[in-house]
Amino acid sequence: MIHLRSKLKRLKEYQEVADVGEIARRYFAMNSFDGVLTILGVLMGNYLAHVREPTVVIITGLATSVSMAISGLWGAYLTESAERQRSLDDLEEYTLADLSNTRIGRAARVAVVIVAMVDGLAPLLASFLVLLPFFLTYLWGNILYSYYSALAIALSSLFALGAFLGKIAKQNVFLAGLKMIAAGILALILSFLIEHTVHP
Amino acid sequence: MGKIRRLVLDVLKPHEPSIIEVAGELSELPGVEAVNISIYEMDRRVENAKITVEGNDLHYDDILKVIGENGGTVHSIDEVVAGRMIIEDAETPQDPLG
Repeated sequence: MIHLRSKLKRLKEYQEVADVGEIARRYFAMNSFDGVLTILGVLMGNYLAHVREPTVVIITGLATSVSMAISGLWGAYLTESAERQRSLDDLEEYTLADLSNTRIGRAARVAVVIVAMVDGLAPLLASFLVLLPFFLTYLWGNILYSYYSALAIALSSLFALGAFLGKIAKQNVFLAGLKMIAAGILALILSFLIEHTVHP
Repeated sequence: MGKIRRLVLDVLKPHEPSIIEVAGELSELPGVEAVNISIYEMDRRVENAKITVEGNDLHYDDILKVIGENGGTVHSIDEVVAGRMIIEDAETPQDPLG
């Protein structure tokens, strides 16, 4: 218990030094949005291509989600560690001291790991949430219901995400949610247009 | 060797961790009774701090470790008081008036 408390205290200190919260929040919102929109694209692709087998949707959806997670994890790790290293080097030029083994250096390394995890897990969780109805298709027996409920979940997630961002920005939460939904609807319309172009 | 009672250090440190944390940590060191940190110069990323530590038995290495852990570097040791009691520097006719 004491050990856990000291770990939490250390994390709080790192948060104060490295300011993890703000950047993690930004990555979370950005990548959950990516996750939902991408999986929406996968769903629309499957729906318009007349895929009526839940396992096919689940496999294509999960494969896409996992790739997104790896991309997020890798990308955030590389960019964030480069940025943090640069910032640390910059600070070292002022203090003329090696800061890598100080609290500042450790906070920077912890920040990189936390941000990479958030960046990787956010799209994965978001897309899992949208794919959930396909795991339950056997309950209602008709995959079309799974498509509809996945669509409803995706649009609600987009709204929730927009509302979350609106709350951070202290703007109108409802309007911010609607702005996000607009992106989802745009993606849907474009998918339909593509289908009509391919199969006129 | 007599005990160190007061140290005044000129330290360059990043803005974060703040002097509140540094002062708190220094005050927890054994032998330390009081800590005073004041900032006398600010730069874009760093600040110059005058750190005064008083106590009945100060360990310079431990103090240095806390400062270093928080990203600071000691530029100079501006005052040291050692012995059984704290004395201020003696006044001499050579001191500037006023």
